[in-house]
Amino acid sequence: MSRLWIFAARDLRRLAADRRALVVNLALPLVLTSVMGLSFGGGIFGKKGISAIPVAIVAADLPEPLRERLLEGLRESGFFAPTWADSAQADALVRAGDVAAAIVLPSGALDSFFNADSLVIEVWKDPASDVKAGIVQEIVQRGVLRLQAGEAAYRALWPQDVVLAAADSVALADMFRGGLGDLWRNLRDPDTAGTQARAVDFLARQIDHHLALGRVLSRPTVGLVVADRVPGAGNGGRETNLFDYFLPSFAVFFLMFAVAAGARDLHRERARRTLQRQLLGPGPAWPVVAGKWVAAVIQGVGMLGVLLLAGAVLFRVNLGPDPWTLPVVVLLTCTAAAGVFMLMALLVRTEKALDNLSTAVILVSAMLGGNFMPLDNLPAWSRSVGQLFFNYWANLSFTRVIGADGSLVDVATPLLVLGIGSLVLLAAVLVLFDARVRKGGWT
Amino acid sequence: MIEVRDLVKKYGPQKAVDGVSFDVARGELFGLLGPNGAGKTTTIGVLSTLLRADGGQVRIGGHDVATAPSAVRRLIGVVPQEIALYTDLNARDNLVFWGRLHGLGGAALNRRVEELLVLADLADQARRRVETFSGGMMRRLNLVAGLIHQPEVLFLDEPTVGIDAQARSRILELIADLGRQGLTVIYTTHYLEEAEQLCDRIGVIDRGRLVALGDKESLIGQIGDVDLIRLAIPADRHEAFTAACLGWEGCVGVGERRGRIEVRARDGGQLLPHIQAWLEAGGVPLEQLEVERPNLETLYLNLTGRGLREEAP
Ligand SMILES: Nc1ncnc2c1ncn2[C@@H]1O[C@H](COP(=O)(O)OP(=O)(O)OP(=O)(O)O)[C@@H](O)[C@H]1O
Ligand SMILES: [Mg+2]
Repeated sequence: MSRLWIFAARDLRRLAADRRALVVNLALPLVLTSVMGLSFGGGIFGKKGISAIPVAIVAADLPEPLRERLLEGLRESGFFAPTWADSAQADALVRAGDVAAAIVLPSGALDSFFNADSLVIEVWKDPASDVKAGIVQEIVQRGVLRLQAGEAAYRALWPQDVVLAAADSVALADMFRGGLGDLWRNLRDPDTAGTQARAVDFLARQIDHHLALGRVLSRPTVGLVVADRVPGAGNGGRETNLFDYFLPSFAVFFLMFAVAAGARDLHRERARRTLQRQLLGPGPAWPVVAGKWVAAVIQGVGMLGVLLLAGAVLFRVNLGPDPWTLPVVVLLTCTAAAGVFMLMALLVRTEKALDNLSTAVILVSAMLGGNFMPLDNLPAWSRSVGQLFFNYWANLSFTRVIGADGSLVDVATPLLVLGIGSLVLLAAVLVLFDARVRKGGWT
Repeated sequence: MIEVRDLVKKYGPQKAVDGVSFDVARGELFGLLGPNGAGKTTTIGVLSTLLRADGGQVRIGGHDVATAPSAVRRLIGVVPQEIALYTDLNARDNLVFWGRLHGLGGAALNRRVEELLVLADLADQARRRVETFSGGMMRRLNLVAGLIHQPEVLFLDEPTVGIDAQARSRILELIADLGRQGLTVIYTTHYLEEAEQLCDRIGVIDRGRLVALGDKESLIGQIGDVDLIRLAIPADRHEAFTAACLGWEGCVGVGERRGRIEVRARDGGQLLPHIQAWLEAGGVPLEQLEVERPNLETLYLNLTGRGLREEAP
């Protein structure tokens, strides 16, 4: 084991000194994932775009023309892809992750607004889509605040507009015409009973108005309530994040290049004679190649690990339901990948031949194994042929864990295939290498 | 220390080494001299256990390389013809790796690495990546890497190839030092003067066969008093000259090299009048003529009919 580590550590040290590998293994997949995820938008899944935020609008009794204007305005802003919904529908949409948020106006909203009655607007957010829902909340909040400020200012400046009708002011002016004596007479004059009633009514309303204004100034009539709507049982699952697919599939694609480079190094070392020099050391030959395999696995795990973590931070990629499922998937993906390409290296005679072979294998297996397109979207024949490639099983595992939040039991089959495959491949690599060395074919 | 008996190594039907036998005593510096493709590297490959022989026997320190390769490997250090180093690592990390490979570790490893860096004159370049090294520096590091586990026997496969004269003489000094310290060395080269200068004994190898073996004096003695006469005449007369020359007494052989005729003669002085007479009789203009007394170069030509620096056919 310690001998094996000597070889693995050397390769890792060389890798660490290789800045180009860092770019190819980490930066490139990240950039490509971003580009693909952002440019395809909802294309592949047809569910939603990245740029326009899907929102549901609930405003049951808003008059038709007003609804139209509202929807149109939201759509034209370019920020929103609004849908009309009733309260129950909106709730379901948010919980299913189909819309980022719902804006809910209570029934009778319009009347309440014009009557200066308290009006509460609600925003229901999908917590899985924090950013987009946050944008919706922010915009609605700003609107409400502006409304509140305007309302308060308006009522303070022109209180009479709110409740005072023109007829009332005329009646009032008549009553007071002629001073207090006239007022007294007017109040007792049966001919002016109508005016009296109106005056009393006016005074009462005036008092009401002042009370109402006080209410408005101390507490806004239009309020906002924000609530998270989490997916509940039987509520249709989580939001589909495009990066949940793109990130692991590109990561596995680039993993293949990385381990292929590691395997190619076996030929490089042979050509440079460092391989032969190692075989002059004491002990058996197999740790030389096993060490390379270990280094490739560690490199792969590091690479996938960094990419997935970066994905979680940058694109909110889901890392699975628990802390162990995804690491197991990553590890077995890497052991299998390293085995495949090491074996290929031992099967061909030259570095050039290996390059050609591995490029072909990477492209074909990426195509059939679901690195360029989700497995579900592949034709049936391709899915059955794809099962011959390790990356099919890796992609299947990642899709189930990241895409569907599956745990170990959900990926037991693909993991078993990857695990057994890794062992068989490694055994073949060790046996073949030993035979090559024994026959002097690799010296 | 090293016994090689009737060694045969084939690549397919081609015999790269064809019945080679020689011994090397403990502490001896043995030169294996031969042109490109002679079989030097192949011989070293078998001796260092990396290649399986197709015939014959090789024993090093009493251990058979075929049946006890591990015991042999403990005794030997190998410096390959190529720069077998990780050029993307620095000099120190290279030596540390090769040391670990041979089971060294801790303070002992560090000490040994420092020693070798000093020996290679690279102590202040230890943290530089090998790919930034000059050819001579790489060669020196390549050499000391073969010494990391303090072997008793060192195989050096053309350790001076492709570097300038100054760098070369530093390496030769280094090897001479190692020889003085009692290391047994097999040194392959196609530079005659290196073998002459450095080695106690020399084996000349060509086309897989050992064509001469001994110290410098005895090798020259083997060819006796053979002189080499070089002359330049028009090319259309070469054939006629060769035919005539072979009939003269004292002529050992006639060959052609670089457009000139080379005559090997038991005594040059005896043959010259014949040549002169022939030239005059035929009215052949003589452009150049020189006579060389015996040395290893003439020996080599005698044995192989080829110059050492020429490419293998
Ligand atoms: N792996 C191989 N497969 C086939 N033929 C080989 C192989 N290695 C060497 N040979 C052939 O065997 C012969 C001897 O080669 P070798 O490398 O031992 O010569 P050398 O004396 O070391 O030459 P050089 O000075 O060029 O290093 C050559 O004809 C070479 O072409
Ligand atoms: Mg050679």
